[in-house]
Amino acid sequence: MSELIGLAVLLILLSLVVASSFEEENRLKALSVAWVVFLLLTFSTIATEWARMTAVLVNQEDDPHYGLPDLWDGKQVVCLHFPERNVPAGFDDGRHHIDYDGTDFMTDVEWNETGACIGGFSGFENGWDLLDAAINATGDDFAVTTTSYSFGLMIDSIAGVDPSTMAGEFNGAYWSLYHNGALSMVGIADLELDPDSVVTWRVDTW
Amino acid sequence: MFDAHAVALGPHGMLAVNVAMLSIIGWALWRAEQKLSFGSDWIALSMLGVFAIAGRVLLDPIPNVQPVTVIVLLAGIHFGATRSIALATAVALGSNLIMGHGLWSFYQAIGWSAVGIAGALLADRLYVDGRLALPALAGVAAISAFAFDWIVSLSALHSLSADVFLVYLMAGIPYDLLHAVGNVAFVAWLANSLSDIMTRHVAIPTAMVVNDVATNRV
Repeated sequence: MSELIGLAVLLILLSLVVASSFEEENRLKALSVAWVVFLLLTFSTIATEWARMTAVLVNQEDDPHYGLPDLWDGKQVVCLHFPERNVPAGFDDGRHHIDYDGTDFMTDVEWNETGACIGGFSGFENGWDLLDAAINATGDDFAVTTTSYSFGLMIDSIAGVDPSTMAGEFNGAYWSLYHNGALSMVGIADLELDPDSVVTWRVDTW
Repeated sequence: MFDAHAVALGPHGMLAVNVAMLSIIGWALWRAEQKLSFGSDWIALSMLGVFAIAGRVLLDPIPNVQPVTVIVLLAGIHFGATRSIALATAVALGSNLIMGHGLWSFYQAIGWSAVGIAGALLADRLYVDGRLALPALAGVAAISAFAFDWIVSLSALHSLSADVFLVYLMAGIPYDLLHAVGNVAFVAWLANSLSDIMTRHVAIPTAMVVNDVATNRV
């Protein structure tokens, strides 16, 4: 939004400069060229910002993208859901939606889990590669620690949230992996992705 | 073996080639038009149609910037609603035979026809004392861009539900804006020249032929 306002201000200033630099006879020609060039140069930014502003959440419950912004249709997404008492600072007000470039553009306060979904990715075939890209896109917010076992890679903590340290009315807790809404039968390093996969991590207990 | 067509142009190179081709087509049509006798309205309309189709196809690399809307608007002003509808529909079909023909062609024909009809209805305000009122025409051309795009967007109702249609329209606003600004540029740079051409070929009403011979004279 702030980028759109900045571009609008820039366009107004550009128009004033161009309009004052040309005689009335050629003013419309000069202005129209300036506007077309300006829009073409900034179109990618304008289209992206506008798409984020006007995004709506997918409301079909049988869609793996249910509850996610529609601008991620056909794209790959990683969701990180944290237990109620262990939500990283700044992510406890609902589910944040963060685009592939790290822009946090929408928060769904109605969602029954807290955390973040990082999406808009494409072309990833392996679960670990997608998770790595999503973590990198958000800087240090969701740093992951892992342990490598003979049977595969185990996620120990996400954003400092380590289920093995949690206490409650359960025997143990762990980061559980879901692919398109279903519990994954393979680990993240062996997970083969679809072009529009939704990979979800949440803490489960036993 | 020689591969004489192995030169790979990037998008900017291709756009430069397309603009050069459109310039050649425009120049050749303009020269040919000067040799037409006055009042060759259908020939002039056909030539404008060729330029509109070429403009739409060749400027395709620039999203939603094409001369068809302004040409149809001017045709409505100078030639009236009926012939602008013929031009609009022919251009929609002709360009889509290259770019892809489908249900959307019908909506594009309706959209551009509506623009032509608007031009005909507003002709007295947009063409005053033998001159185009450019600022007003630029405004109408910009509004026409949104109107055309939204009419074409109605085709989405065949696959989308009505409740997401508004969201669909909203998502397209940046593209509508580009169409509108492109139209203003075409008005600023081409409208007067195109208007002169059209004015030369607006058919002069022929004398009414009297079929019945008067039998009584005073």
